[in-house]
Amino acid sequence: MPSIDDVTDTPDELSDDQAEELLEKADLVQDMMGEVCPYPQVEAKKGLQQIESGDLLVQETDHVPCTENVPRAVGDDADAQVWRSGDAVYRIYLRKR
Amino acid sequence: MVSTLLVAAIVGIALGAFLQKGRFCFVNAFRDFFAYKDSRVTKGVLAATLLTMVFWGIAYQFGYYQGFWTPDWGLTGLVGGFIFGVGMTYAGGCASGTLYRAGEGYLQFWLTLLFMGVGYAGFTVAFPTLESTYFEALTFGTGATLFELTSVPGSLLALGVAVAAVLVYATLTGRASTAAAFGERADTAQLTPTALLAPVVGLRGFVRGTVAYFRGLARAWRHPVASSKQPWDPRTAALGITAAAVLWFSQVSIVGVTGPEARWTGYLLSRVGVDAGSFDYWGSVLFQGQGVGMTVDMVMIGFVIVGAFLAALWSGDFSVRVPKRRRLPNAVVGGLMMGAGSRLAPGCNIGNIYSGIAELSIHSFIAAVGIVAGVYVMTHWIYREVGCAI
Repeated sequence: MPSIDDVTDTPDELSDDQAEELLEKADLVQDMMGEVCPYPQVEAKKGLQQIESGDLLVQETDHVPCTENVPRAVGDDADAQVWRSGDAVYRIYLRKR
Repeated sequence: MVSTLLVAAIVGIALGAFLQKGRFCFVNAFRDFFAYKDSRVTKGVLAATLLTMVFWGIAYQFGYYQGFWTPDWGLTGLVGGFIFGVGMTYAGGCASGTLYRAGEGYLQFWLTLLFMGVGYAGFTVAFPTLESTYFEALTFGTGATLFELTSVPGSLLALGVAVAAVLVYATLTGRASTAAAFGERADTAQLTPTALLAPVVGLRGFVRGTVAYFRGLARAWRHPVASSKQPWDPRTAALGITAAAVLWFSQVSIVGVTGPEARWTGYLLSRVGVDAGSFDYWGSVLFQGQGVGMTVDMVMIGFVIVGAFLAALWSGDFSVRVPKRRRLPNAVVGGLMMGAGSRLAPGCNIGNIYSGIAELSIHSFIAAVGIVAGVYVMTHWIYREVGCAI
């Protein structure tokens, strides 16, 4: 019996506390507020090229589709988690593999 | 008239809400497929187009329709479509994507809309010259749809084309997965010819995916309020968009976006003292000599923004978003290219890919090729530093 996660394949969601804690440990933070697709995808790929394996890249964005498109774009290069503020701000956490 | 306005409001709000919830963006559908083989939105676009084709075919066969939109066909579709495709990729949103994001509060896309308007106005001024040069030289035949050209009943024709499209899709995906399995299980792959196996494998995957989708949908129904605030599968949006488009087809026409927007431009300019009716394109082509005024499809398009606004507000996705300064050229140039391209084709991604293929219009087949080619070229340019998958 497949679970819903196999079907939707969306990244894990972070709680507010986890999101804050992880943000402080980030190795690279990209400000993507006011950006539109596909520039956050391209920047995420470039950002991952700059950091080491195991490092954390965080994107802060107000562009709704990014929460799914950015994790998709980096594919197997990183493990993705997402935080939704509920107020149209989102953070995407990418841990480089 | 009141009932038509009510239909316009219902269809507009429904389209806006489903576009927003499903992030139903044609740029996303093609760009992300080319860039990193992400086909989630592509599947939604395919599902919406094929389902709408079948239901419109049925409606046409039984006479529940008002009319098709069939511009004369020729190379204009390829040229205009290509310009539109490049423009929408650069702008980061297609005609429908720009509308629903305007409703989500993106100032970026209000600016895009403004410059699409400039594109429509510029085209209108140049129209007399373009008509005798560009359109005359590149138009080869009168517009038609296969529904009217063939004597096959509409529902059967639509179903036949839809089934053929699914088979092609299954063969392509099946070939991809058999090729992947070839390395691991060379013995079985050698026994069965891959060419025969591919459609079967693909269809099995298609059925599995569809069943899994409906199972997920049923699960989502258990928590309707929480699920309604989450992003929806583009295929869910496809179902809703189809329902709205069938209602619209039976009462008014096919669904278009840039045509009504170009009428809005003429209408708004006439409000501030420009004699829009004296321009050939607005007076006799877009408003067809009826005088520059509010038409029912303009009302519908307006309600798309309202529907997207309501859906975004409900989901916590609404916010007035101020664009980055370095993104302003995207709105200006992308908007201009979408405005001009959609008139040169004529038609946008909704008119030509969604509605146009669903109504089997010859012009739209050509224009769809042009639009997708434009997206392909522009995607490769934007991804030039990191590379594309296809």
